[in-house]
Amino acid sequence: MTSWAMVIDLDKCVACQGCSIACRFENNTPVVAPEQAQKGRAIRWNDVFPDPINPTEETGEYPFVRTRYLTRPCMHCVNPPCVKVCPVQATYRDEEGLVRQNYDRCIGCRFCTVACPYGVRYFNWYQPEWTPELAQHLSPDAVTGPGRSEGPAARMKGVVEKCTFCIHRLQKARAQAEAEGRDFRAADYVPACVQTCTAKARYFGDLDDPESTVSKLEQNPRAFRLLEDVGTHPKVIYLREG
Amino acid sequence: MATPLTRRQFMQMAAITAGSAAVVGGLQGLLNLEADAVTEIELLPTAVSTTTLIPEKIVPGVCLLCPSGCGVLSRVVNGRLVKLEGNPMHPMNLGTLCPKGQAAPELLYNPDRLTGPMRRTGERGAGQWEAISWDEAVQLVTARLNDLRAAGHPEQAVLMHGEAPGQLKSFFQQFMRLVGSPNVISRESLNTAAAKLGSYLTQGVYNTPVYDLENSSYILSFGASMLEAGPVPQRMISGYAFMRRGRAERGKMVVVDPRQGVSGAKADEWIPIVPGADAALALGMANVIIRSGLIDPSFVGHYSFGYEDFPDETGTRLIQGFKNFVLENYNPEQVADITGISSTTISRLAGEFASNKPSVALLPGKGGLLNGTIGGVYTAMAIHCLNALVGSLDRPGGVLTQRYPEVPNWPQPADDPIAKQGCTMERVDGAGTQFPLAKHAYQAVAERILDGYKVDTLFLYDANPVYEAPGGNRFREAFEQVPLVVSFSSFMDDTAQYADLILPEPTFLERYEDHFIEGMGYPGVGLRQPTIGRQHDTLSIGDFFLQVAAAMGGEIAKAMPWHTYQGLLRYRLKDVGTDWDTMKELGLWLTPGYRFSRRGSDKWVQEVIGTDRRFAPRDGYFDFYSRELKCILDNQSAEQLADLGLAHINDTTYLPQYVPTTYAGSEVEYPLTVNVVTLMSLGPVSAAANMPTLQEISGMTVQETWGSWLEMNPETAAHHQLEDHQEVWVESPFGKVQTKLRLVAAVRPDVVNLPYNQGHTAVGRWAKNRGVNGVTLLDPQSEPISGLAAFTNTRVKVYPA
Repeated sequence: MTSWAMVIDLDKCVACQGCSIACRFENNTPVVAPEQAQKGRAIRWNDVFPDPINPTEETGEYPFVRTRYLTRPCMHCVNPPCVKVCPVQATYRDEEGLVRQNYDRCIGCRFCTVACPYGVRYFNWYQPEWTPELAQHLSPDAVTGPGRSEGPAARMKGVVEKCTFCIHRLQKARAQAEAEGRDFRAADYVPACVQTCTAKARYFGDLDDPESTVSKLEQNPRAFRLLEDVGTHPKVIYLREG
Repeated sequence: MATPLTRRQFMQMAAITAGSAAVVGGLQGLLNLEADAVTEIELLPTAVSTTTLIPEKIVPGVCLLCPSGCGVLSRVVNGRLVKLEGNPMHPMNLGTLCPKGQAAPELLYNPDRLTGPMRRTGERGAGQWEAISWDEAVQLVTARLNDLRAAGHPEQAVLMHGEAPGQLKSFFQQFMRLVGSPNVISRESLNTAAAKLGSYLTQGVYNTPVYDLENSSYILSFGASMLEAGPVPQRMISGYAFMRRGRAERGKMVVVDPRQGVSGAKADEWIPIVPGADAALALGMANVIIRSGLIDPSFVGHYSFGYEDFPDETGTRLIQGFKNFVLENYNPEQVADITGISSTTISRLAGEFASNKPSVALLPGKGGLLNGTIGGVYTAMAIHCLNALVGSLDRPGGVLTQRYPEVPNWPQPADDPIAKQGCTMERVDGAGTQFPLAKHAYQAVAERILDGYKVDTLFLYDANPVYEAPGGNRFREAFEQVPLVVSFSSFMDDTAQYADLILPEPTFLERYEDHFIEGMGYPGVGLRQPTIGRQHDTLSIGDFFLQVAAAMGGEIAKAMPWHTYQGLLRYRLKDVGTDWDTMKELGLWLTPGYRFSRRGSDKWVQEVIGTDRRFAPRDGYFDFYSRELKCILDNQSAEQLADLGLAHINDTTYLPQYVPTTYAGSEVEYPLTVNVVTLMSLGPVSAAANMPTLQEISGMTVQETWGSWLEMNPETAAHHQLEDHQEVWVESPFGKVQTKLRLVAAVRPDVVNLPYNQGHTAVGRWAKNRGVNGVTLLDPQSEPISGLAAFTNTRVKVYPA
């Protein structure tokens, strides 16, 4: 069985936010109004921020100031709290370990946004909007089916959205392999943030394959996961700095 | 379940329970919220091949949202550009892309782009325009240039430009030379010229040095956050990441900067230096390196000039060399007071730098080098001399020299007395005359027009001087003296709104253009091409000038025989090593593999040391004592030297040295030094401020969005009784702005920082009147010798709004 996972090397990451914006254009996340952004309602499935978030806190006394940055996609937990609280199964975990979100089922109760300890679920407070000119760049990719609308597909006011590890890219890669009459390989598929990472700090692959890069990096002494103690078993593994 | 399951155990269990639990999974989840319990949740299959593949086209190109020039691959679906990826073949970015490049569709499809050529109808700046055709525009400009030539004053046509990549720079010079004007003014005096001058006066190469970070063991970066701003940020990021984790041994990085920034945060050590004191630190380190015997004796002894004392031309007098000058004046104890860095730290850094080879000292693209005195140029020289001391020039892990692809010459025009005469006239920016050391003095153009230099037609290409130059408002006044101002901006930017004629350019995704790959050392060129059809009635400046040249007829038309800029490129790139179609398909061509030259070899003399010296001998010697500077200043009369503030010129004038920064504004009234910093998010291009996605992520480091902020150390804020998030006035002797205060521990207490690229008076709906422009606070004076703009010698006071 395949288990998709991501490794992020914080020693290489330079907090450029390329991942954030690659995600936006890959997945059609909207720009929210400035006032909404100030309230923390911006929708970037992979956000980059200082850690701690307030740069005056806990960073040490001048001149011995240590500043760190964190980049944060969905952790695609093995034990995802968001899935447990969803009353309508709008969010679910699929057989390859991706935690997914179906806009067609979502009723906007926001239980999941509260349950997620990582804060990576985003609510559409308003109808996403683009000027007619800008709407031209929206990606036509989508994951749709009867009663299903996921990934870059259009969403409406009142639904929750989240990082999918670019599931539509997985589908495209499989379809491409099929069209070429060959077997699908794990290397055929990377999410947009991994592809664009300016410092090549991101690695992606199958954690169930002991030979994969992510499996090997999981054994790295620098490896850790966010909030390991809450029992979510994240599939995003960080490598610490230094 | 008391103990947490491992992932593998869970997968096994989940597989068994998958089917049966599907329906009730969600409800069970609600009832069982124990953190580490694994509930029977529904596992739906990952859909396979349900999407039919959408037909798409991938078009290579080169980004232009900063000077890096990263290779991009544009994904075009149904005639629409939907996504950009990095071009994996392009050595600058190796398939990656920063947020600006990723957001480029917002530039292409920006609703505030200008839709076609237009002419002013009302008063200047009143915003009344009429659409004209490109033919009319060509006729208008042609008539203008012909009239100027007929009147014998072709030098009154002036072209100010920002980024002019690839052939464009040379094309501008050639076109204007044919017209008869020496006035092609580059924006580099606002950023990279100081670093170029530092390299020019020592190594003899007028260019920003290339650094082989991949092979460096020790990187010492002076000023101007190398991972965010500078000439080639993406190149620096690639090199940094490889130096950290791409090889067996992790290199060390030290950042010297009054502001920590992202580069300081990612460094092993951040040295918060007193602003403007970088030369003192570099020379203090040189002092320790020399005293400890850690210099590279082979390089210093055989391939440098002016290290030891040497006899003058007559052989009667001994002139002090770099060694004794530095030993006498810059021991670490003396330097500690100037730099605010302890002598032990200075000695340690010197020891580390000289014994962890290969090591390299990086010149900033801007930063403290533009401090309003000639000390900025000396600083660049001093930093570059560190590389020479440890023998890092043209060595793996050290400083490389950028090479360019071979290009054929421009067709030589027949003798044209008008043009010849015009080209001998003094330049409008005073480069080479008022500013003897300068190649360009962009910001000085306004002042000199107001002082009486006659300009008839001013072309502005990727130039927004009203916004980006210190004292930018003087350009508005200067325009009153200029009968015709022509802007080629794609947006109604801060400067274009005062123009008479706007001839909008297509964006970098819609035009043919080349872009030299600078930052790897070896020659290479990237190619832009139309990704999709033109969105608006636009014409690239290359195409426009070629049409003007054809319409002007005569020798100019003969020397510019191409109908389109694409045709010109095909001619100029014919010797690059491949054919045009291959270049279009790949988006680039390069000759990889930097070839190091043996010290003292022919190649060393011809390509590495001294290639751009105009007066001093091109003899392959690195100058610790700048013979080039001596030659340039020897050409000046005594009065001229006095005017330049060099009345007491002596032998030490030609050695790198520390010159105290002279600040505008008294320290008592204005206690803080202001620093305008370029961000990774908004970058240097005005149009980027009108890309909503970049606005949204602009202030990541302080979690600000869609606006400006002032960074201040919390101690300083407490001293001035100011609080985080408070609205404050920032006032200098030249202006004041109101913005939000943000406290940041990682900044010197005597320095405040304002982000660049906000506070536009125009450009578009998302950029206009948002935040403040810190450049308006800066001293508008140009440095008298080098013509550099002053960016870091202005003091401010901050008080509640």
